[in-house]
Amino acid sequence: MKSNSLKNLRALESLMKLNGMIPIYRRPLALVAILSTPFSFLFFVDIFSNGTQLLAGSIGGLIFTMINAATMLQSDLLFGKIDLKFQQMVSTTGISPLTYVLGMASGDIIFILPGAVFFLAAIIYLASAGIIAVLLILASAFLTWLFFSLLSYLISRRVREMREIWPISVIFGIVFAVLPPIYYSIYSIPVPVRYIAYLVPTTFAALIIKGAVAGSLVSVVIPMAIYALETLGMIFFATRVSDWRQKNI
Amino acid sequence: MDPNASSVTFPLLVEELRKVYSVKGKETIALDGLNLNCSHPMILSLLGRNGSGKTTFVKIATGQLLSDSGKLEIFGHNVIESPGEVRNMISLVPQECRPWGHLTPREHIYHYQRILGNTREGARDRTQYISEMLHLEPTLDTEAVNLSGGQRQLIIVGMALSAEAQIYFLDEPTIGLDIITRKNVWNAINEYKRKNRTIILTTHYLDEAAALSDEIAVVNRGKLIAQGKMEELRRMVEYNTRIRTAKGFLGESQKIHGKLFQDNEFEILYTDDSMVEEIILSAGLLKTHVEISPVGLEDVFISLVGESIDEE
Repeated sequence: MKSNSLKNLRALESLMKLNGMIPIYRRPLALVAILSTPFSFLFFVDIFSNGTQLLAGSIGGLIFTMINAATMLQSDLLFGKIDLKFQQMVSTTGISPLTYVLGMASGDIIFILPGAVFFLAAIIYLASAGIIAVLLILASAFLTWLFFSLLSYLISRRVREMREIWPISVIFGIVFAVLPPIYYSIYSIPVPVRYIAYLVPTTFAALIIKGAVAGSLVSVVIPMAIYALETLGMIFFATRVSDWRQKNI
Repeated sequence: MDPNASSVTFPLLVEELRKVYSVKGKETIALDGLNLNCSHPMILSLLGRNGSGKTTFVKIATGQLLSDSGKLEIFGHNVIESPGEVRNMISLVPQECRPWGHLTPREHIYHYQRILGNTREGARDRTQYISEMLHLEPTLDTEAVNLSGGQRQLIIVGMALSAEAQIYFLDEPTIGLDIITRKNVWNAINEYKRKNRTIILTTHYLDEAAALSDEIAVVNRGKLIAQGKMEELRRMVEYNTRIRTAKGFLGESQKIHGKLFQDNEFEILYTDDSMVEEIILSAGLLKTHVEISPVGLEDVFISLVGESIDEE
């Protein structure tokens, strides 16, 4: 009998190929589309700041790109559930819903990988970041991907029609990747609004990266602890509610 | 699967299964105490009109949907309480399923095998076996987006049949297939039956149900109306003869000896043998075309449900 972990690994690999590598190879235009928004934002930040905010633009770009992967996941999960009915077939294979979600999310990571690598390289170059800073940036990016992929999964469980997800995805992007202080400093907004910003997990993602590149590791500790706790909470919650079965489908 | 379980328990046992959909305060009863069973490996066809509850049953049985009450066991395992225990025993062709446009049939079956946990070599072998069985080879490396609707449906059937399951739930698997391809799928289904697998087939093609099934279950408004072999179902209907003739041909005295259905051009009278001779004589005298046949599955269905399977 196959061990469950081996089975899950095989499933992860295949889902990553089905949802990431093969479509990129056959439909490369999608890659350009995915990267166009964060690069456009970087372009405008650079223009309007006369090049002084290129680092902030790159930090925002990295977080935006990770959010993009989660937004794509919403559509992919719903496409698999509602349109293709692929999820129904996968559910009878014995793998867990979270394995399926992580496999599909891994496929979406392939799509955003070139952008993520570009922004990471830009941050390292512009901030002359050391190894500790790079590890913190990677940790922030990873937590962002995991937290928002699981959130996307929870959202996709509630949606029953493809058309419903399009406005949700737009709002998702604005709430988590455009409005929060990821492209700009949190200290540039009034104090009451700051408290609202602290409710958004991407605020901590940006604080971690900004603290890391500034070499202020002390300032990273609290945002990292909060973000890690939020992600653990999300993992706990998603694991608790994850079930192939639903009340209405 | 527990190898001893199948010898002492039913492949499928459903008792008083109930499901009510509730959307924005409006309740719709999908299953209203459904009973169903397969006492041994067989092909069981579920027949019913659209909305009769067939697909809801399949969704509950395959662990997609929560039921409200009732019992559903697969090889003695309680699907309602522990759906995870049966997932490795079942395979599914969902209703209205589509393949990924950017993948080829080979990639679909191969990667589905990998998700099932098969090794690379095992997945390749299984893909080859299924593609030969379903005659998929000519299009095996063509992206699904470039295939016909029937060829795409065949990919889904191939994926489901590639699983080494004990029970295959096939929800309208041959929809959109041409007659030759349908026959290929029928052959594959029969092959699985010979291997002692159970196939639960929902279909709107009555010829398919009649040709494949060991037993047929007729479901209406979420309830089982009848289940049995074709001959047993035939015996359930009041009349054994079907007479189809031009509208207006049958006299009033003949009509009262049976059950009459009419459409724009024809009348169909279900009656017993005693009327046959009289009607043949009348037809001969009036040189009118009359078709007389034993009742078939469609007639049984109409008799049990009240309307044709294709009507909504």
